[in-house]
Amino acid sequence: MEFEQPFFDLTERYVRGTCSEQEKQHFEASMANDPEFRKKAEEHMTFLKTLSGYGRRRETRRVLDTLHEELLRDNTATLTAPRPRPTLIRKYWPMAAVAASVALISITGTLITTRSLEERQKVYYQELRRNVEQIQKSQHRIMANIASSAKEEADPYAGRYVGTGFLISTQGYLATSYHVVKDADSVYIENEQFGRLKAKIVHSDPAVDISILRIVDTTRIALRSLPYTISKTEADLGEDVFTLGYPRNDIVFGEGSVSASTGYLQNPKAYQISVPANPGNSGGPLLDHKGNLVGIISGMQTETAGATFAIKSGALLETLAGMPVDSLNRPVLLPRRNYIRNAGRIQQIKRWRELVFMVKVYKN
Amino acid sequence: MHYFDELIITEIRKNNTVALRELYKTHYPMVLNMILTNSGTEPEARDVYQDAIIAFYERVQQPDFVLTCKVKTYIYAVCRRLWLKRLYEKKRYVGKIEEGDPFLQIEEELLDIEETEQRLRAMHTSLEGLGEPCRSILEDFYLNNHSMEEIRDKFGYTNTDNAKNQKYKCLQRLKKMFFSGYNPLT
Repeated sequence: MEFEQPFFDLTERYVRGTCSEQEKQHFEASMANDPEFRKKAEEHMTFLKTLSGYGRRRETRRVLDTLHEELLRDNTATLTAPRPRPTLIRKYWPMAAVAASVALISITGTLITTRSLEERQKVYYQELRRNVEQIQKSQHRIMANIASSAKEEADPYAGRYVGTGFLISTQGYLATSYHVVKDADSVYIENEQFGRLKAKIVHSDPAVDISILRIVDTTRIALRSLPYTISKTEADLGEDVFTLGYPRNDIVFGEGSVSASTGYLQNPKAYQISVPANPGNSGGPLLDHKGNLVGIISGMQTETAGATFAIKSGALLETLAGMPVDSLNRPVLLPRRNYIRNAGRIQQIKRWRELVFMVKVYKN
Repeated sequence: MHYFDELIITEIRKNNTVALRELYKTHYPMVLNMILTNSGTEPEARDVYQDAIIAFYERVQQPDFVLTCKVKTYIYAVCRRLWLKRLYEKKRYVGKIEEGDPFLQIEEELLDIEETEQRLRAMHTSLEGLGEPCRSILEDFYLNNHSMEEIRDKFGYTNTDNAKNQKYKCLQRLKKMFFSGYNPLT
């Protein structure tokens, strides 16, 4: 069967209901009997329906558009009133503000409680130089409390910081801790034997905390030789050691033993020793039972009781060897013989106390 | 059911334009507000709202239609779904559209809306691509229900059979374009 113009005409008329009764019967019979006819016819009917549906829809939309125009005309004001569109910032700024203030509080809180890492370490490791002013103030307070009407005479020679130092050669060279003399304007040394002498810093090694001083007027000291030697070997664990120093205005003896062969934070150039030490002991000599120098007192650990640290004598020798030659007008001649090896402790101390000086540091 | 709703539906079934206008005016501010507060613009609101109204309008014409909720609720639900779908297509909305309002039973209708919409859009593009005078002949005959005689006179054919012949050819072309999914835009 050919699906041509007459067929579509018929289908159309059937859909519109304009065909005759005979045609209608013929169409319905064909629909029932001929599947191919039926398929074609249905396809065409669907298409026509879509087409007319499209027409209706277009009409409806046109009507709605006019309605919309009307609506807009009627109440333009209410419908098109500018509405604040919530932007992202406006929507979230309260939350952002809260988050920012929380961050601010926690950051400042952390900073206040911890300050900085460096300062916290300083708290654990205390350098043993003496801040004279501070101590004098507390002494004043104690005195005032006790009773006294007697006016304190301010010591015009009191330095800003006080440490300990000791002679390492007959030419007037002394060793002390770098942190005692750092930033110094002038340095004076003082002990019972030689009185008060001016000294100059000739070399500093901040890495190992050692400074070398030289007495300006060497004629004031007349020493033929020094009675000890500087130990080239490391002290053994448990070895008896003692020190002399100026934690107060008189020389103080302290003894103990080598507790560990490394210093603060495993520093291999220092010992841990069980010698009681106080501010002012810094730079003092650490001596073994023969009276030989094994180290220089440098500091203590604050959170551990009885943990004092001393720089090893080997580090001192290295520093001396590393001194630039032109920074000295005379080479350092180190003591070579120990005359007090077999003497008793008391005799050793009697010889040594002449060589140990209070180091007074002045600065603005 | 609400008296007003019932009245509207009855009147719309009678093709009453006044009822349609009332319906249109009553619910537009609500939909406009919803779409403006959900990152939409006024033209978009108008589009969505008209789609929903047309869907409602055509649905009401069907004899088996029973409204299970208030008209306002129905319109709102349909608009919401249509708008979410548009947002989804614009990649502005990443949630699941299917959630919410299962009691309204508008799922089927929404499917209908979309399917019809697609079919009608294909018809529109086909008609647009047909060219003159075919388009005008077909529109006059099928959409505006002009008679063959009127068409013959309007387009200057010598007799009705010629006009019919031309109309037939045009219809065949349109049909071919429509079924092959002809779309000059893509």
